[in-house]
Amino acid sequence: MTQCKTSKEIGGMGHSLKRKEDARFIQGKGHYVDDIKLPGMLYMDIVRSPYAYAKIKSINIEEAMKVPGVITVVTGKDLEKYKLHWMPTLMSDTQMVLPTDTVMYQAQEVCAVIATSKYAARDGREAVKVEYEPMKPVMDPFKSLDPAAPVLRTDKPGKKDNHIWHWQAGDKEKTAQVFANADVVIKQQMHIPRIHVVSIETCGCVADYDKVNHHLTMYMTTQAPHAIRTVIALVAGHVGLSEERIRVVSPDIGGGFGGKVPVYPGYVIAIAVSFLVGKPVKWIEDRSENLQADSFARDYHITAELAGTKEGKILATRFKVLADHGYTDAAANPSKFPLGLFSICTGSYDYNAAFVEADAVYTNKPPGGVAYRCSFRVTEAVQAIERLTDMFAKKIGKDPAELRMQNFIKKEDFPWHSPTGWIYDSGNYQAGLQKAMDVVGYAALRKEQAEKQARGELMGIGISTFTEIVGAGPSKDFDILGIKMFDSAEIRVHPTGKAIARFGTKSQGQGHETTYAQIIAEELGIPAENIQVEEGDTDTAPYGLGTYASRSTPTAGAAAAVASRKLRDKARKIAAYLLEVSENDLEWETGKFFVKGAPEKSKTIQEIVFAAYTNHPQGMEAGFEATHYYDPPNLTFPSGAYICVVDIDKETGAIHIRRFVAIDDCGNIINPMIVQGQVHGGLTQAVAPAMYEELIYDGEGNILNGTLMDYLVPTAVESPKWETGHTCTPSPHHPIGAKGVGESPTVGGPPAIANAIIDALSPFGITHIDIPITPYKVWKALKEHGAYDK
Amino acid sequence: MNTTITKSFHVEHSIEDVWANLTNPEKVVACVPGASLTEKVDDNNFKGAVQLKFGPVKASYGGLVTFTERDAATHKMTLKGTGTDTKGKGGAEMVMNGKLAEKDGGTDVNVSMEMSITGMLAQLGSRLINDVSNQVFDQFVNNFKAQLAGKEVDSSLHAGSIAGSMIKGIIGGKKS
Repeated sequence: MTQCKTSKEIGGMGHSLKRKEDARFIQGKGHYVDDIKLPGMLYMDIVRSPYAYAKIKSINIEEAMKVPGVITVVTGKDLEKYKLHWMPTLMSDTQMVLPTDTVMYQAQEVCAVIATSKYAARDGREAVKVEYEPMKPVMDPFKSLDPAAPVLRTDKPGKKDNHIWHWQAGDKEKTAQVFANADVVIKQQMHIPRIHVVSIETCGCVADYDKVNHHLTMYMTTQAPHAIRTVIALVAGHVGLSEERIRVVSPDIGGGFGGKVPVYPGYVIAIAVSFLVGKPVKWIEDRSENLQADSFARDYHITAELAGTKEGKILATRFKVLADHGYTDAAANPSKFPLGLFSICTGSYDYNAAFVEADAVYTNKPPGGVAYRCSFRVTEAVQAIERLTDMFAKKIGKDPAELRMQNFIKKEDFPWHSPTGWIYDSGNYQAGLQKAMDVVGYAALRKEQAEKQARGELMGIGISTFTEIVGAGPSKDFDILGIKMFDSAEIRVHPTGKAIARFGTKSQGQGHETTYAQIIAEELGIPAENIQVEEGDTDTAPYGLGTYASRSTPTAGAAAAVASRKLRDKARKIAAYLLEVSENDLEWETGKFFVKGAPEKSKTIQEIVFAAYTNHPQGMEAGFEATHYYDPPNLTFPSGAYICVVDIDKETGAIHIRRFVAIDDCGNIINPMIVQGQVHGGLTQAVAPAMYEELIYDGEGNILNGTLMDYLVPTAVESPKWETGHTCTPSPHHPIGAKGVGESPTVGGPPAIANAIIDALSPFGITHIDIPITPYKVWKALKEHGAYDK
Repeated sequence: MNTTITKSFHVEHSIEDVWANLTNPEKVVACVPGASLTEKVDDNNFKGAVQLKFGPVKASYGGLVTFTERDAATHKMTLKGTGTDTKGKGGAEMVMNGKLAEKDGGTDVNVSMEMSITGMLAQLGSRLINDVSNQVFDQFVNNFKAQLAGKEVDSSLHAGSIAGSMIKGIIGGKKS
């Protein structure tokens, strides 16, 4: 645990400060996009396709226009006149804003109804009649590459198949050689299914175009307001929306989890309509639209292989991924990494041969591929390596904890070069797993398990010892549409010693208003409660790439520390002037400079700041402000050791999580209470894909669980008691030694649960079940393996 | 989503009587709950409408019904229906195969129905479609038998009673 260097009053790092933002959230005073009401505002609703693949024969708006309150209906043909019917995706693919002739997935936007109230817009939507000519959709990503499959992207000249890209990392030859000579080879086909972030707040916006001043204010649910401003300028620059005339405001956000990074057609339609009619236009999705049309996450089919010795040493791994991207590649990844950071899949283990390759394909499913609480495909990678590791242990008859201990990268071997090219900054994996085993009482649990198995009862213990890769990222490799993935902080300290700090990131519930203030408090000694944090308004905040992929603390948090240190340098000069000593004679202790050897001669930060406005040294710039754009030298590599204990009812397949111990190592901790809250939430979002969630499509392209009646989101009832703890291995390159934690539990949790369930079922010879592992799947596997045979 | 249902039953009527009813569009459509014929295009093609109700979800389909096979020698028939939701919210396709065989002075009727549903009904009603379709088909069989016996045919859609009998089925009561 991080030691507190500051007093409770200052509230720097390590203090469990109550969240400053909660005062408004718990009193119903949060201000979300749907709370925005502007004079003369119109409402938009969207007609969506019932077919996964169809030609649009006609759109009849006659009845819709008769609905009282309906102003207009906007179709793709209308947008085509302004060349606004297509837009680029973050991965440089193209996506329809509204279709002119063909729909490519069920729930795709077909046309938009604009009315004076949201009820009139919905009634108008019901009255629009669209005539379709359905076609047979391509739903199976494996069949998508079949030469007989229809080419879906006929809009792309010369496109002859449904292949999007191929990507690879590691050493193919070397890996093949190790596999050829290995004692033991494990091979498993896995599907990490298509799921959805299901944030409490759906997506929406209010687009407000001022025709007189040629200025657009866009209030929207976005995790990356600056990037959005640039994208709008790129998409709509040709109709006069240049970047200085665009202001993007991201108000309070009710959960993002990556789902509020992409630009959805609804936003662009709202902008186009506001531009055309000169009035503010509000668009808010309903729950089903959010679930059915917004970006999915995961959907990787992985062939995972591991080679090892019969003594349990891992020698090599190999992964082949088929990525189902839906009808366009609208994933949210850094541009050079179409597979995200999946190549972290070699895990926490010391070996030097690995090969990863991937192909992405088009199908008639909604587009997406967002980093759902995950640093770009790390969840898929961790599921693959942690399942493989467990299968290896089972195969050679070794305890999975012992096998992991045997294979871990040793703490003295950091920085460690991974076989796919990453440089892990720091870690102490043995300490983490040992702590988790001590907390859970591992040896006693194994003994209990053996006794239960002898009685025919099903109990399982599952381990996941994961390494994450977060904090994208260094400008050498990381950009989105060419914009480097730095992030920023701007600190202004007022004459009375209170401050406002603005950032290029955007909290969606992470608690930035508290944690950023704590970093500045730590560095400058100004009490955190006197530091106001602002984000989300592109007119005031410095440019940054936003909050996702656990990047805020590694990038903007670092920027806050570095900007604070710039201010401390200035403070030293002012203090030397005020105390009439040389700068070198001064020493810093949180909140003040004092003369070496004469601690009674000192100036507090508040006195120094006041002097910066009232009595600054001649020749020095007045005021007390600093800005920093932080370009990280490397990514950070948080890790964790999770142990899950399950009991399974053999007759029904019902799974009960009895214990879940999560030991995280996220480096130095800013606010332990917020970290614990992040881990609780993240673990619940780990139970979700492990046991409940999957977006299911049939062969005709229908989504079969497009409402929360059928798409199962775990609630408090399904959540076990979480037992959390920490080890602390600071990042050596991060200014405050922090690594990021928000995503570790979502990433590391699912394999711990899956491994526990498979462990419980292993006496029957069951070696793998794809997530979500439901009672039905358990019962079916048991039946197939003869568990019910008399 | 696709669903296939097959029913076999025996009636104490001659194969020619059963064949006459099964291949007469007016007669056979009258037995389908919620269905009606609206226009005769030619001897093999008819326009019609079907109402479906799955729990809270209602849909009205308008479309074309076609006899693609009516072989009096082998007593085999195939009826194809395609329809779209009258509000543009989806579509449905249906293929019905019927086959008759003489047995013990009466007739064995073997009917299979393959349905494919797209759009809102499939999204919201996927868990109910099999059960409800089965119930609708049972009602069709009862109607068909009643029609042969010269009794009144009730072609209205008994959504309430269907739901009721499903619930009875689930909780172990006797199915109607």
